[in-house]
Amino acid sequence: MPLIEVTDLQTRFRTDDGIVKAVSGVSFSLERGETLGVVGESGSGKSVTFLTVMGLLEKTAETSGSVRFDGEEILGLSMARLRRIRGQRMGMIFQDPMTSLNPVKKIGWQLEEAVLLHNDVNRKEARRRSVAILEEVEIPRADTRIDDYPHQFSGGMRQRVMIAMALINNPEILIADEPTTALDVTTQAQILRLMGRLQQEHEMAIVMITHDLGVVAELADEVIVMYGGRVVEQANVDNLFAKAEMPYTWGLLGSLPRLNLETTRLEQIPGQPPSLLHPPTGCAFNPRCAYAFDRCREELPELRPAAQEHAHLFRCHLGDEERARIWAEKKAAFAAAAGSAA
Amino acid sequence: MSELLVVENLQKYFPVTRGVIFQKELGQVKAVDGVSFSLEQGKTLGVVGESGCGKSTMARCLARLLEPTGGTINFDGRDITHLSRKSMRPIRRDMMMVFQDPYASLNARKRVGSIVAEPLEVHGIGGDNDRKRRVQELLEIVGLNPEHYNRFPHEFSGGQRQRIGIARALSINPKLIICDEPVSALDVSVQAQILNLLKDLQQDFELTYIFIAHDLNVVRHVSDRVMVMYLGKPVEMGSKRDLYDEPKHPYSGALLSAVPIAEPTAGRARKQIVLEGDVPSPLNPPAACRFHPRCPRFVDGKCNVDEPELTPASGGGDHLYACHFPLERWPMGEDEIRRVPALAGSTE
Repeated sequence: MPLIEVTDLQTRFRTDDGIVKAVSGVSFSLERGETLGVVGESGSGKSVTFLTVMGLLEKTAETSGSVRFDGEEILGLSMARLRRIRGQRMGMIFQDPMTSLNPVKKIGWQLEEAVLLHNDVNRKEARRRSVAILEEVEIPRADTRIDDYPHQFSGGMRQRVMIAMALINNPEILIADEPTTALDVTTQAQILRLMGRLQQEHEMAIVMITHDLGVVAELADEVIVMYGGRVVEQANVDNLFAKAEMPYTWGLLGSLPRLNLETTRLEQIPGQPPSLLHPPTGCAFNPRCAYAFDRCREELPELRPAAQEHAHLFRCHLGDEERARIWAEKKAAFAAAAGSAA
Repeated sequence: MSELLVVENLQKYFPVTRGVIFQKELGQVKAVDGVSFSLEQGKTLGVVGESGCGKSTMARCLARLLEPTGGTINFDGRDITHLSRKSMRPIRRDMMMVFQDPYASLNARKRVGSIVAEPLEVHGIGGDNDRKRRVQELLEIVGLNPEHYNRFPHEFSGGQRQRIGIARALSINPKLIICDEPVSALDVSVQAQILNLLKDLQQDFELTYIFIAHDLNVVRHVSDRVMVMYLGKPVEMGSKRDLYDEPKHPYSGALLSAVPIAEPTAGRARKQIVLEGDVPSPLNPPAACRFHPRCPRFVDGKCNVDEPELTPASGGGDHLYACHFPLERWPMGEDEIRRVPALAGSTE
C-alpha cells in the first residue's frame, strides 16, 4: 500500500472575479522511502496541491477528490484529527526559513513546543530530543545554539533548524516546498546531502517541490511536472530526462542554463503562465506551445501512457512519431552544445 | 576595443561602532578588500560568490552609490573615485543598475511610464512628448506592450517587472549596466527570457555588463570573463573557459561541483565537493588565506600564515588565482582534492 495516494484532487478558490481553479484533477501516489519531485512555474498549482493534501488551506477553499494517507482518507477530516496526523506523521519545510520561524522565541522553545504538543513527555525530555535533532542536522554546538534566536543563525543554518523542526517527531513523510531556492549553491549542496542522508536513516518519503530541474535530477525517484493546475507529465526521473514527452517539459529543459553545455541563446518558453481564473480552452499550454494545432485549442489532452514506457504519463495531442522526431532534434542540439563547450 | 572600466585595488570598509553620541569604533568590516579588474567595452564581467562575499557592495561602489574607502575606479578614461555628487551626475548617464528584486525596486505608486521616464527627467532629456515616445519605444524593445504605459507595477508578473527595470536602465543609453542578481528571483523559464533579452540588448546597443549572481550556470551563460569572490577578495579570475574548464582555486572548484546537474546519470556520476560551514564573519576574517578554515586542501603552517597573492596560471596571462596549492586538474574527487602534492620539502 502506498504511503500517500492522491486521486483526482481539485482545489478551487471563490474570488470576487470568479472561480480560480488552482488544482484540477491531480493524482499520484508515493511509497515509503521514495522521493517525489514536483516541478512547475509559479502559479502552476504545485504548492496549493500539497497545502490541500496537508489540509492547510483556508476554509474558503473548495476541495474534492481523495487523499489517502497510510490507507486512511484525510481530505476533509476534522481540524483536531488532522493536527494529530500532521504533527506526528508529516513534516513540512517552507522556502523562506526566516518567515517560518518565530523571531521572538528561542529556537529551543519552538522545537520543544512541537514535541510537547504531540508527545506525552516533560520539558526536560523535550529539550533532550531537541538537542539531539539539532545535532542530527549537523548544527555545531547544538547544546548552546538551542538557546539562540532565529536571527542569530545564517540562512543555511536556519534551513537546518526548519528541517530539524519538521523531523523532530519522526514523520513518515517530509514535504519540502522550495527548501533551497533562497540559498547559495554551496549551502544548497549541504542541505540536499543532509536531506538524502536523513531520508535513508529514517526511511522517510520526501516530496520536493521546486522549479529547479537540477535539484529534481539530483534527488527525486519520480517526477511530476505541473502546468496550469494539472499534471502534464509524470515519470520516473531517468525516463523523464532521457525522453521527455511533452512540449512544456522540453521548454523547461531547454531554458535551463546548464553548466555542462554552452549555447549562445537559451531556448525560451514565450509568454506567461496561464491565468487560473480564465484558463485557455483545450490544452492550457497551447498559447505558448510552438507545436500547437487546432485540436490543442479545442480539446484538453488526456493523461496518457508513453509508447514504450507505460508508467510514463503525459498530456499532448501530438502523434508519437512527431514527438519522437522533435525530441531527437532537441537531444541532438543539447549534445552539440555540450560538445562545443568541452 | 578600449577599456571602459578599470578598477584598481578597490576597498570598502564599514566601521562597526557602539554608542549613539560618543561613538566608539570597534572594528571594521572589510566588505570589499582589494578588487582589481578591467573591462572592455561590449564585454561582460561575471561576478560570483556566496552571500556575504561583497559582490553587491562592490557593485554599489562602482556606481558610486557607496563611497569607496580606497583604490581607484577609472570609467571611460576618467578617474571617478572621488568625484563630487555634482560632477558625478553627467557620468551617471553612462552607468545604470538593474536590481535583484523586481518587486522592491519599482515604485508601487508610480505608473510604468513615469518609472521608465524617470532617468530622462532627472537628466533633463527631451520634452514630455519626446519622453513618452521614447518610453513606448523602450517598452517595445524589452518586449512589453507599449500600451501598458499607464499601468502600475503590481499589474505585471515578476519577469515583466524585471523587463521594466531593464527598460529604465536603458532609457538614457548607458554604456555600462551593472546587473545585481537580475534573475535570481525568477522562475527558470522566465530567467531564460530575461537572459536572452540582456544578450540581445548587448549586441544591439554595444552594452557593457557587470553581471553579479550566485548561480554559476547563469554567469557562464552571459559572461566573457568571470571573477570569483570570497570574503571581499577575488580568489580567481579568468576567461569563461579558464574558469569553468580548468578552475585553479579550490573554492571555484567547490562552487562548480555544488551546482545540481539536470541530468540524472551525469549528476550521480559527478564528484562533488561539499564545503562545510558558512562564510565566516567579515568582521574578523580568518588570517592569511581567508578560505583556509573551509578549504579541503588546507595546509597548516602555510595557508594560515602566508597570504597567497593573485598569480597568473601557467596557461594564459589573464587567468589569475590566489592559492598556494591550486588544483592540478578538473574535475577532481573529494579524496583527490585533499591530497596536496609537492608539499614535501616546502614545509617539513
